[in-house]
Amino acid sequence: MARTDDEAQASRYFERVISERQVVICVGSGGVGKTTSSAVIGLNAALSGRRVLVMTIDPARRLANSLGIEALGSEMQQIPLERFEELGLEPKGELWAMMLDMKDSFDRLVQRHAPDPKTRDAILDNRFYHYFSTSLAGTQEYAASERLHELVQSGEFDLIVLDTPPTTHALDFLEAPERLVDAVSSRALQWLYKPGVLSGRSGMGIVSLGTNYVMRTLGKFTGGELLSELGVFLKTFSSLFEGFEERARGVIDLLKSSRTGFVVVTAPDSLTVEEALYFYEKLDRDALHVDAFIVNRVHPRWVSEEALALPPEALAAALSEPPLPALDPALNPTDLAEHLLENASQFELRATQDASSIALMGDRLPKTMPILKVPYFNRDIHSLAGLNKARTALFGYF
Amino acid sequence: MSSPDLYNRRFFLFSGKGGVGKTTLSAAFALSCARRGERTLLMELNVKGKISTLFGAGEVDHEIREVDDNLYAVNVTPAAAMREYALMILKIKLVYRAVFENRIVSSFLKVIPGLNELVMLGKAYYHVNETDESGRPKWDKIIVDAPATGHGIFFLKIPSVITSLVKSGLMFEEAQRILDLLQDPERTAINLVTLAEDMPVNETLELARVVREEMGVPIGVVLANAVYRPLFDDAQVAHLNEAHAALQAAADAGDERAQTHPGAGFVEAARFRNARVAMQQEYLDLLREQADAPMVEVPFYFHDRMSFATIDEIAEHLSRELPALANPAEDTADRSSSSAG
Repeated sequence: MARTDDEAQASRYFERVISERQVVICVGSGGVGKTTSSAVIGLNAALSGRRVLVMTIDPARRLANSLGIEALGSEMQQIPLERFEELGLEPKGELWAMMLDMKDSFDRLVQRHAPDPKTRDAILDNRFYHYFSTSLAGTQEYAASERLHELVQSGEFDLIVLDTPPTTHALDFLEAPERLVDAVSSRALQWLYKPGVLSGRSGMGIVSLGTNYVMRTLGKFTGGELLSELGVFLKTFSSLFEGFEERARGVIDLLKSSRTGFVVVTAPDSLTVEEALYFYEKLDRDALHVDAFIVNRVHPRWVSEEALALPPEALAAALSEPPLPALDPALNPTDLAEHLLENASQFELRATQDASSIALMGDRLPKTMPILKVPYFNRDIHSLAGLNKARTALFGYF
Repeated sequence: MSSPDLYNRRFFLFSGKGGVGKTTLSAAFALSCARRGERTLLMELNVKGKISTLFGAGEVDHEIREVDDNLYAVNVTPAAAMREYALMILKIKLVYRAVFENRIVSSFLKVIPGLNELVMLGKAYYHVNETDESGRPKWDKIIVDAPATGHGIFFLKIPSVITSLVKSGLMFEEAQRILDLLQDPERTAINLVTLAEDMPVNETLELARVVREEMGVPIGVVLANAVYRPLFDDAQVAHLNEAHAALQAAADAGDERAQTHPGAGFVEAARFRNARVAMQQEYLDLLREQADAPMVEVPFYFHDRMSFATIDEIAEHLSRELPALANPAEDTADRSSSSAG
């Protein structure tokens, strides 16, 4: 697709903004190519000389392979950039990548912040811990924000690009730390240890329902043992939260500062665009910096409207004009022309729909917001050249 | 591997990676059931009502509402499901409020592993067993649009997680009942939705393994969504590749006709399709080889995927394809030819 001046300008603006950020966070619905976009943003910054880490939550094997590594693990790995020299590029910086494994991040957290080895083991061996660390809503986002904080503090990287889980709420990982603090706040725990709370002394009128009654009713639901065990677990676990609120605040300050930019990634269909706009409104309301919208898999326009209106016979005749090769006598030119017309008009329909949802997006966003379009490639991206094609689309390099 | 007709079961879950069209296909399947004259309930879980958009029937929220003939929809949120469930047990609103809306309790409810998921599944379970005045089941079909994989696996594991964690209490009993329903091949099927692409297919194969080996939930079908219908035969594909090479060569030689030739755009558009078709076929083969479940291809529709027109076409397609699966005598060599373009 030929790039217009507007597109070139949007790319330049986007690149300049990213060059001033230390953290870039890609948000968006599932299946829109967030992981690939994160990799391309990271790659571009690394090629231009920065030391970059891309953190993903997706076990994107193909992407890992395209970057020249076997698989992404929870340990950081350096991406061999010299392979980009084959494409005529001169990589000046470093690119590192890792997959954020939820369980692993949580274990790290326990190991780092447990007050003593005994508490650490008590938590890691608790039978609730496994479910707690892998499945509680927001734990993944929470682990990501903790790890991000840790890495930014270390100062090892000039830029960290984070690919977030496809949540329905773009900011789950902002709210997750607070939710966890709230859940294990000492106030709730105190109730659990009040003598008699779970042992079933009644005698409360219904009007002044006491804590005992409340807890016993809850115990009926969960089974008393679960509630008391959970209490023990939470009590142990809450010892981790020394300094926790401070760290959570640190993350939130970082995300709200000008060191961090958000990129909204979307597909071009109307429904996904609606979701993306919803993310944007939420981010904007929280005074976070949204740097760009990336629209992946935009159907290109191959054929002009005049050409689509050609009668099949006219196209059939043109099919043998040089430089096109002569048609094999076994091929029926009109038949081929009809199929070509059908195919082109189907894709024209898609291109028109894509263009109209992108136009709608433009109407609903500030005029200065870069909207970067990545064409729909005919193969999935799983090679250096493929990644570089996406980079060309985002940043305008060839 | 014989597959009984999916339409003979009553309780359906749809799962798959985000962005593969799970909601579209669960809605289309629900519509195909309703069209067969069955009273059908479509349940969305805790998402911003996509179903409302599809059926244009106003906002679908936690009240069940009719969105098409015989077709009812509801969006289940954990909070609403919890409230319903608790009220069913406690019977008295005042008590419910005192207990469940107590600040301390609500902070507990947040951290009890799987409670949210359990009450949502519990609501589905309740509708499976719900009867009308005459004692007949109130719903012929209950269809759950489950959360995306990752979360979806956890969601389905919840009942067994709970029964392994606790051995008493209402939660345990509820979990045990739901587990029995989930594992019952007479009543239940989980359908895995995927795209014929690398990551969705890998995730689907993994999900199929987990569902089969760790959960014992019967797999109904694998639905490969958005499959391009091949338009060009092998000879045409070969010619188009030649044509593309000739145009490349002309362009490299500075021949301006490469740009202006009236056929140039058509050739490129066709090559795009052919490349996608070839790639999709590879992944469809992989699914057929490794998913160990019957597969139905759902064609790619060239209008916006989230519209009633699309749902309608897919519903038609499914009502033709699904019964045919149950009848292995029928030739299934070229399923894609029956699709609408």
